[in-house]
Amino acid sequence: MIAALLKITDLTVVHDGDGGERTLLDAVSLDLAPGEVLGLVGESGSGKSLLCRSLVRLLPSSRLRISGGSITLSGRELTTAPEAEMLAVRGGEIGMIFQNPSSHLDPVMRIGDQITEGIRFHQRLDARAARAAAVDILAQVGFPNPARHYDSYPHEFSGGMRQRAMIGAALSSNPRILIADEPTTALDVTIQAQILRLLMDIRAKRGLSVILVTHDLGIVAQVCDRIAVMRQGRLVEVGEKRGLLAAPAHAYTRSLIASHPSLPEEDMPEKTGKRQAPGAVPLVDIEKLHVRFATGGLFRRGAVDAVKEVTLRVMPGETVGLVGESGSGKSTLARAVLGLTPVSSGTIRFDGADIASGRAVLARLRRQTAMVFQDPYNALNPHLTVGKMLAEVLRVQGKIETAQIPARCGELLDLVGLGRAFLDRKPRTMSGGQCQRAGIARALAVDPKLIIADECVAALDVTIQAQIVELFRELVERMSLTLIFIAHDLAIVRNLCQRVVVMHRGAIVEEGRSEEVFSRPKHAYTAALIAAVPHIDPDKPLLAPSKMATAQADGVAN
Amino acid sequence: MHRYRFVLYRPLQFLPVLFGISVITFILVRLIPGDPARVLLGTRATPEAITRIRAQYGLDEPLLAQYFYFLRNLADGEMGRSILYKIDVLKLIATRIEPTLMLVLCSVVLSVLIAVPVAAIAARNHGRLADQVIRIVSTMGIGFPPFWLGLMLIILFSVELAILPVSGYGNTLSEKLAHLVLPSLTVSLSLSTVLARSLRAAMVEGLRSDVATAARARGMPESIVFRRHVLPNSLVPTVNLLAVNIGWLIGGTVVVETVFALPGMGQLLVRAIFSRDYMVVQGVAMVFACATVLINFLADIVTVALDPRVKL
Repeated sequence: MIAALLKITDLTVVHDGDGGERTLLDAVSLDLAPGEVLGLVGESGSGKSLLCRSLVRLLPSSRLRISGGSITLSGRELTTAPEAEMLAVRGGEIGMIFQNPSSHLDPVMRIGDQITEGIRFHQRLDARAARAAAVDILAQVGFPNPARHYDSYPHEFSGGMRQRAMIGAALSSNPRILIADEPTTALDVTIQAQILRLLMDIRAKRGLSVILVTHDLGIVAQVCDRIAVMRQGRLVEVGEKRGLLAAPAHAYTRSLIASHPSLPEEDMPEKTGKRQAPGAVPLVDIEKLHVRFATGGLFRRGAVDAVKEVTLRVMPGETVGLVGESGSGKSTLARAVLGLTPVSSGTIRFDGADIASGRAVLARLRRQTAMVFQDPYNALNPHLTVGKMLAEVLRVQGKIETAQIPARCGELLDLVGLGRAFLDRKPRTMSGGQCQRAGIARALAVDPKLIIADECVAALDVTIQAQIVELFRELVERMSLTLIFIAHDLAIVRNLCQRVVVMHRGAIVEEGRSEEVFSRPKHAYTAALIAAVPHIDPDKPLLAPSKMATAQADGVAN
Repeated sequence: MHRYRFVLYRPLQFLPVLFGISVITFILVRLIPGDPARVLLGTRATPEAITRIRAQYGLDEPLLAQYFYFLRNLADGEMGRSILYKIDVLKLIATRIEPTLMLVLCSVVLSVLIAVPVAAIAARNHGRLADQVIRIVSTMGIGFPPFWLGLMLIILFSVELAILPVSGYGNTLSEKLAHLVLPSLTVSLSLSTVLARSLRAAMVEGLRSDVATAARARGMPESIVFRRHVLPNSLVPTVNLLAVNIGWLIGGTVVVETVFALPGMGQLLVRAIFSRDYMVVQGVAMVFACATVLINFLADIVTVALDPRVKL
């Protein structure tokens, strides 16, 4: 055993609230060896991010404080080190990258200057030498034209390139440890694979130790050496990854592994949805649909084809998964189906009637379709209790008698597995999963023929994701529902949907029965998407060849 | 520099705006009750004299014809003759514009010089004593009416301490500046509190932002985090607030110029209104409106310079 580079012993962090102390990190002990990649997994609120912040003493609130334990970096105690010393540790010894590069990069500062800042402060280089060093770092993190991109601003780049820039800024002062807090959660799978590959390349070149925080066990299985599992501020289990994944000791670890939506080769769950009688009328019939958005102002006109030449039929009772990267036109297509986005050309028929043919058809469409949104909190009115929210929908729809509304609200909550006690709850007193269930109850209140779920599990923890997917499966079975399920997570779509439609740059590149598409993808893009999903089995490696060269394809705007 | 291309074509959009402004001021001024000829000649003037004066100034023509003359004169660089001062309105305004411009300029500079450090101190001590004190004082600053504040300043600095002039405007630059200290201070005390509040809120947000966290995680000390990341980001929303307030300030100089007897546009406007001097009211209103348009244009340029994301 090599001496630990970073040694955390009984680290305890408390919150001094009005109602007394609350322990948020409870005696966490953990080591990090030089050159090691440690995966830190757990659900939101488990204390993963707080642990990372505590290591560099950047606690997110002044009410939080380290109340006990020690953190030693090469034998040096950090919990009691003076602030001036911590400045040298942050960036200089421990670098940090975050989940959302868009909000962590300064929008009004040039990318290069954000890298130079650390170099100048820590290494005391002059402006010229610092610039040269920053250009070198930009090249290392995969900027195709570092000398020019030095002077670009964050908004000129795609999410993947922004994450590369943030990695560059974190590496600028040659730290020995890199803390990566959900670095790929906000990215598409193919970009995620590139960023993970980049992190591993850099780690190999620099002998960096990495703490990788994630909720995705697939990522951990692919890139980490050891795994630490956290729950409710405690470290429940830590161990070498193969051993831990093969024989998890703790029940919570087992449930995390069980709910990971990997792409299994066999024993797929029975596909929901009904077999179609031939000759049935499609519920949604989209023909040669184009949606074009105008861009630019009065003097520079342009247009973007968000949806191109899309023809798609959805039969009653079917579950169709719509997958593709961000910007591929999935959501635009869904909005067009609901008549929320003007259509440039082509037709959409709902239950046989063209939705462009008049307000009556549109009104009927909206009485028979419902949408479930990505962000469960923001999609619910914070001032209404769940009961009032459901009652409002029922009243507006007018499909049932006013006297029966309270009873129906209760039934809806039963349907989505929320107790009737939730009738009087407001969204902010509920968890993400509970809010999403309420959102689904609201969609069901319409008594719809069609539900469109737009990335409705993307913001949820894995175990909650599994529960919501299970709920959809049950609902489709029990009611005669048609489901269009939009997701970037291929594994979930494969688990839930009969049919899958793959979109790329506004067009459908492949569609077919889920099993077939996933086991024998015909289109290269589908194959690339599937290959980019990190598998929970460490022996199914992600992207063998280096993808550094594809940084260009990753999209350098302007 | 395609982001700055709007500087070239935006002025084209001013033309319809200015046309609209001219129509509205023209109509509004004529809605003021009272007859300028009667004001000019006094209550005992003969009807013949009044008719003559009305014909001389074109007041007996239909409104549309009057507006047409107004436009034609404007094209020749004239705004008609002042009934009261007997000279062209544009020339009259030219003699009065300097004190107002100087007052606005000094007030804005002084306000920014007060607001930025005050907001910075408050934000960096968020929730602590310094922040509370600044908040209470700035609430009071908004509460005091400027005319009262101006009078108090005169009593303190000019009458009691006798270090600054009471009122009026000098001839040399140093005299002028001395006369402008108290008026600008009066304006700044309320303007700077408005700016400081907005800045402080933006800075408090900025200090908590992910950008600041990321900078701290790179080992940047608080002073650099604040100066290089928080401050530039917080200026962007404040620039527009400042522009709106300058627009308001130009109209608001009327009160301050009256209190300090500054011979500026505000004072001119007040006298013109009382004497129904149509042409002058119209000209001053036009100048004020144009200034507001111009200031918003400048604010757009500053915003584009401060925020690389903005495209106009």
